[in-house]
Amino acid sequence: MHEMGIAQNILEISVEAARKEGASKVIRINLIAGELRGIVPMQLTFCFGIVAKDTMADGAYLDVEEVPVAGHCKNCNSDFSVEEYEYVCPKCGSPNIELTGGTELRIKDIEIE
Amino acid sequence: MKINVMQDVLQANDRIAEENRQLFLKNRNLVLNLMSSPGAGKTSLLEKTAEKLAGKLRLGVVVGDLETTRDADRLSKFNIPAIQLTTGSACHLDANMVASALPHMQLDKIDILVVENVGNLVCPAEFIVGEDYKIMILSVTEGDEKPLKYPLMFHESALMLINKIDLVQYTNFNMGEARANARKINPNIDIIEISCTKGTGLDEWIAWLVKHHQKKLGELSHA
Ligand SMILES: Nc1nc2c(ncn2[C@@H]2O[C@H](COP(=O)(O)OP(=O)(O)O)[C@@H](O)[C@H]2O)c(=O)[nH]1
Ligand SMILES: [Mg+2]
Ligand SMILES: [Zn+2]
Repeated sequence: MHEMGIAQNILEISVEAARKEGASKVIRINLIAGELRGIVPMQLTFCFGIVAKDTMADGAYLDVEEVPVAGHCKNCNSDFSVEEYEYVCPKCGSPNIELTGGTELRIKDIEIE
Repeated sequence: MKINVMQDVLQANDRIAEENRQLFLKNRNLVLNLMSSPGAGKTSLLEKTAEKLAGKLRLGVVVGDLETTRDADRLSKFNIPAIQLTTGSACHLDANMVASALPHMQLDKIDILVVENVGNLVCPAEFIVGEDYKIMILSVTEGDEKPLKYPLMFHESALMLINKIDLVQYTNFNMGEARANARKINPNIDIIEISCTKGTGLDEWIAWLVKHHQKKLGELSHA
């Protein structure tokens, strides 16, 4: 289960960022997770609860903002969201597209005190 | 107080992967991260590949699998350097695990290094290890809808090998569907149908390897 390793990384990055600010506690973490990452938010928050125990992020709320798969058409320059993994431009039908969203896995910001 | 972080969750892994990549560059290795479900035929493919490449290109393998399998022993019989990483309960290889195997390999005596990842269609796709390409095996006994269930792996792979086509008549696997589903996720993916037991399609696979090895050497000479 990759959620455990990911939770551990989230914890380490958050704690380090909080320390740098001289904080004593992490209250909330806002995570961005692309749909293609296949993250199961409930599993991730569960794992995070376990790894964060007895750290300064113990009890912190982990918010997972899921980002849909999005594309940009190199043919007609339109931007669109990719539905059902249909990797063609909905406007002109070109398959010549690049992904602009859906694979990210990033900590956006955290709340500390 | 709210503070901006904007950091990739897997940045620690990606940093080590970059160190691995630099080491591979120095040694002129083409590096492939081979992924599939358990039992799809990764080790079988590497056995056949070792046989076919013998005397042409030097293959090396890092195998990550659960403690019970002896994939490295299977591969060592073919006189290629093969290092087994026992991953215990880990569901994927990460850059650090691969890095731990590299001091035990004479990388300058290897042309193509294949990392046989842990059998799993989800986790290995998340962690780069320093590879040039991710490649994957889908076997016909698994079902043609797999690309839609595990999109990241199919999206990240440069090549999908469809293995065990000798068994296709005994399954409800639809080759056209499998290809279409994979191309939907990744329009640029190369697809080769193979049977490791019958030998079907293996020459096309070897040609893919040779082509990408040459491409890599070309890039190195321009660097
Ligand atoms: N029928 C058939 N069996 C295969 C083929 N390739 C591999 N196998 C069998 O599938 C099983 C798992 O193969 P293995 O290479 O160990 O899979 P791995 O777990 O992905 O490394 C073994 O019993 C192989 O003999 C194939 O093309 N056709
Ligand atoms: Mg194996
Ligand atoms: Zn378009």
